[in-house]
Amino acid sequence: MAIAKAERLMNLALCLLGTRRPLSKRELRDSIEAYLEAGSDDSFNRMFERDKDDLRELGLVIETVENLDGEVGYRAGRDSNRLPPITLDAEEAAALGLAAKVWQQARLAGAASGALQKLRAAGLPEDVDPYEAHGALEPRIPVHEAAFEPLMLACRDRRPVAFDYRKATAARPEPRQVEPWALECWRGHWYLAGWDRDRGAERVFRLSRITGKVRSRSAKFTADVPDVVTVRETVASWAGESADRSALIRLRAGAGYPLRAKASQVRELGDGWDELEIPYGHGLDAWLVEFGPDVVVLEPAELRADVVDRLRAVAKG
Amino acid sequence: MAGKPARPVNAIDQTRRMLSLVTYLRERPGARVGDVARAFGITEDELVSDLDVLPMCGTSFRGGDLLDIDTDGERIWWHNPAALGEEAAEPLRLAADEATALLVAARAVSTLPGLRESDRQALLRATAKVETAAGEAAGASARLSVTFESEGGVFADVDRAISERRRLWIRYYSPARDEVTEREIDPIRLVSVGHTYVEAWCRRSEARRTFRLDRVAEIRILDEPAAPPEIELRDLSEGLVQPAAEDPEVVVEVGPGGRWVAEYYPHDSADELPEGGLRITLRTPDPASLRRLALRLGRDGRIVSPQDLADSARQAAQEALAAYDAPQVPGSRASGAHGVEDGLYDRREQGR
Repeated sequence: MAIAKAERLMNLALCLLGTRRPLSKRELRDSIEAYLEAGSDDSFNRMFERDKDDLRELGLVIETVENLDGEVGYRAGRDSNRLPPITLDAEEAAALGLAAKVWQQARLAGAASGALQKLRAAGLPEDVDPYEAHGALEPRIPVHEAAFEPLMLACRDRRPVAFDYRKATAARPEPRQVEPWALECWRGHWYLAGWDRDRGAERVFRLSRITGKVRSRSAKFTADVPDVVTVRETVASWAGESADRSALIRLRAGAGYPLRAKASQVRELGDGWDELEIPYGHGLDAWLVEFGPDVVVLEPAELRADVVDRLRAVAKG
Repeated sequence: MAGKPARPVNAIDQTRRMLSLVTYLRERPGARVGDVARAFGITEDELVSDLDVLPMCGTSFRGGDLLDIDTDGERIWWHNPAALGEEAAEPLRLAADEATALLVAARAVSTLPGLRESDRQALLRATAKVETAAGEAAGASARLSVTFESEGGVFADVDRAISERRRLWIRYYSPARDEVTEREIDPIRLVSVGHTYVEAWCRRSEARRTFRLDRVAEIRILDEPAAPPEIELRDLSEGLVQPAAEDPEVVVEVGPGGRWVAEYYPHDSADELPEGGLRITLRTPDPASLRRLALRLGRDGRIVSPQDLADSARQAAQEALAAYDAPQVPGSRASGAHGVEDGLYDRREQGR
């Protein structure tokens, strides 16, 4: 039976960590049973390269040293791999325990538990159940978008990417080439900020509108990465939250609570209707139409026309 | 408690865990299986499968010993801790992904308005210490960020009611019926998935309900104790809206400008139409609640079925237009057909 990968990785890690001098590939092959069974040199070499990458992925720093005979040796030295001393009290430990549970994405959930386990091994106190300590709060970070993981890695490694992106109102996706800077989750949706190479400008993309695969490009970034990347402000302006004007509407008494909550002025007209002044930003027309016959737009004329236009489309069926 | 995300057995995760496990076990001869599993955030079965692998491992170069670790199912014994030298047994530095996952989550949680101040302070202290210990590995964590949304005052009251086990009175807005209703609820837990929700037992409907905090118009903590019946908590990782198989089907056809519908509504199918449109089939316990959607879509889409839903949207639009044709007083009209509440959908962040 083939030897489980975790066993092979574990043996390689312990060999590299336990040795005082660099070990050659040959020595490692003779020491680890899974490598002895690997068969041809080719399949051993491939396996060994992949294993080193995997161990680096989980944080092991593997030094490569060439000896006098020109033979390459490997070693995971104590100084470069030891966690610096860290002391956390029970409260701090419980708080981190809660934080480590919020990811719903497999890779990050695994990485967060891994971090906590390393801290446990370093003496992180463990008596308190994080949920007991924090009451009933259960924050969760949702990640449903397939594009998330490749983009996260591309942001981490500062690698340009290419993907097909369909704008909300476009019939078809278009190819985009992007230097990815940062990912941000706001109101449960993920967004990417980066440099759009074809447009030569900064752009924000919503991950759920990326269609197909995210492809890696080998080239380097061409534009400077700004110190502060602002995603939320851009998205808020899409959502019409940056209103700079106001509108006057009539609203049936008792209806439209969210409109009332946003209103700067409410006047009771006494005939079963109220008059409201509300902020007028992008998307207000579509929102007002949702209230059907309970809303009538008075001003401005432009908004009134937009709403009538939308209502006509629905009335025609 | 929400279920953990289901994770397939992953060799990297398992290796990472076993490396920490040996350091941990070396210091704790006779550690209890249950305690270790809890400390590592894994099931006892997962731990036992690690303990099956470890005796096959060692610093085996030049005939070093394999780790002689075994368990009687209750305690874990390591008979040759010296098999692992000091070097191989030290706690390991955090990887970039590990630092990112923990730090981004910690920063996000620390912004939750409902977090107790003492907990927030503890989390901020811990975050700073982890940043220092992670060193360079912490750098990439700035490229990922998460903001939880929640209404501070409402959150604090709900949180307090839960910890004191008291009943709440709320005025709550249901978008589907466009009305604010009063109800008494026994809160069970707070959940943040994008927006923040309280899951509660609703005394009015005698059923489990989920309320979005930004739709709570008013809140008061009552003197009565909360007495929610024992109910099994759902795993909400697949989303809060989980239509049932027996719910009626709604078919919507949208043009390119209405494709966002497929992003916001859990649906059974979304088939491409010519010119970039979609035919979306979804289920909801209450199709009438989708009248708002039909109105919102305008020329970007239409309800194909059920017919009464399509009719009610058309009727509402015609009624609304009448007020613009006759610009006097738009009152004194019978109100349109209203749906029954579902209270879960919100289309306001459509974006473009």
